[in-house]
Amino acid sequence: MGKQMTEMLKGTLEGIVLAFLTGNPAYGYEITAWLRSQGFTDIAEGTVYALLVRIEKNGLVDVEKRPSEKGPPRKVYSLNADGEKYLEEFWTTWGFLAERLENLRTEGK
Amino acid sequence: MSIRSMIESVVGELELKKRWRQLKARKKQLPESHRKAHDAVERYLMYSAGIADGAILTAMAEDLLDLFEQGAADGTPVSAIVGDDPVEFAEEFARNYSEGAWIKKERARLEDAINSITDGDLDKLDHRKDES
Repeated sequence: MGKQMTEMLKGTLEGIVLAFLTGNPAYGYEITAWLRSQGFTDIAEGTVYALLVRIEKNGLVDVEKRPSEKGPPRKVYSLNADGEKYLEEFWTTWGFLAERLENLRTEGK
Repeated sequence: MSIRSMIESVVGELELKKRWRQLKARKKQLPESHRKAHDAVERYLMYSAGIADGAILTAMAEDLLDLFEQGAADGTPVSAIVGDDPVEFAEEFARNYSEGAWIKKERARLEDAINSITDGDLDKLDHRKDES
């Protein structure tokens, strides 16, 4: 993944993950696998994990520990009411940014 | 320090020691490549994150080990866990525990200093500009 992509993703990955979790509780590995399937092929599992620790600390997700066949219990993340509110704000911000940037691009032509 | 808070701090210390012993035992169970990578990231975090609070330091170490244990169980190779930029990964990871960092006091001091600068000072600045 290019340096520019990494930098841009930093500000948006939280929203992307929260959007994926909407109505779809998942654990870390599933989230990373989905991101890779969406074209974010080089995303590190640890990056997603650090993000999950953060959104848990910030109270945007509820966490349930489920035993797994192999390895430690899996933490399953689901979006809670605060997370929904945060996501709504994220989409508003994103809409603003996307519109401004598109304007910049077309004005330059 | 009251007797009660002394007892609490001793019990707290013992509890943390127990958790560190458990961490040490769990680390030994990791496959070699994951253990080596874990130890390298942990070492970096111990130096760079500057965490002075024992409980937060322990929580950070536990979270890091959880990540590598889960990765090993899922068969995720080390390169896919830490990505192409291990330093960036470690820094990002450490930010979750910054409330325990010794630098926290200095951050608060900087914020207070900036916030204590009042509009009155700004007025003076404008005034000076007008004169020149």
